[in-house]
Amino acid sequence: MTNKEKQITIKKAFLNALKGFISILPMMVATIGLVGLFQTYVTSSMLSNLFGYSDGLDILIGTFTGAISSGNGAISFIVAQGLQDQGVSLYALSAFILAWVTLSFVHIFAEASVLGTKFTVYRNIMTFITTMIISFLTVITLKLFI
Amino acid sequence: MKKFEFKGMKFLLAVIVLYILVAIFDATNYTTSFNISIKLLWSLVPIFTFIIILTAAINYLLKPKQIMKHFGKDSGKKSTLYAILGGILSHGPMYAWYGMLSDMKSHGLRDGLIVTFIYARAVKLPLLPLMIGVFGIAFTIIINIYIIIFSIIQGIIMDKLLSKESSQ
Repeated sequence: MTNKEKQITIKKAFLNALKGFISILPMMVATIGLVGLFQTYVTSSMLSNLFGYSDGLDILIGTFTGAISSGNGAISFIVAQGLQDQGVSLYALSAFILAWVTLSFVHIFAEASVLGTKFTVYRNIMTFITTMIISFLTVITLKLFI
Repeated sequence: MKKFEFKGMKFLLAVIVLYILVAIFDATNYTTSFNISIKLLWSLVPIFTFIIILTAAINYLLKPKQIMKHFGKDSGKKSTLYAILGGILSHGPMYAWYGMLSDMKSHGLRDGLIVTFIYARAVKLPLLPLMIGVFGIAFTIIINIYIIIFSIIQGIIMDKLLSKESSQ
């Protein structure tokens, strides 16, 4: 391949990447807009009222609340710390922080429109179950060491 | 040549309607939400730039045939390792990566590897010190090991589920 051909290929590769990015811009702007609404309306005091029934239920609620929350992963730790101070169990907190970064109901429409509905449904169901299992296993394993 | 098409227009319209409703009925929270979104959008510009460059590099360096070879149906364990490493090293929100994943998927990237990549993203290297500070070092190590193990398991299950369906 000559240098000129190579340059054209690089240019084409860049334009294709840019085109792909622009095509998903409406979806991304919509998702960011939804994240803004969620961060405003879903507060940590609202969340803490939901926990404290049983370990199993705490894991389920932790996973669910983590999944409906949204934002940077660092925020999840800060919210979790606040919840921990309010006596929320480690089962719930593990599920909450894990669901925050792996599941996001806010992103579901975006994921489905780009990666397909079937893929999105399977992945989210699997991730929901996996998150609960990991939360349970993490706390159990931790108890073995401490 | 593939026709250019915007994705998520209906979704965007729905969110705009939602914002209009919030602006009418709850003006204070409308301003807060709008400001959060603008700030978030602005903070993502460097990540978006990085992803566009990375996608261009993948397009240029890996031809569809190579993607099929490294990440396609017949790719081996190495591809799972790449997906885990890619997930751990990737930054920014998940939706920022959808475009690149969709592009690679159209060239043969396995669904199972996408699932592994997405779940491995739960290991957040820059946030590990904060995680240790909040939950302790033992908790941090244990949960991250489980995340990696289950990202592999999820990938295997996804491939099995989809191959079972396509063979039916």
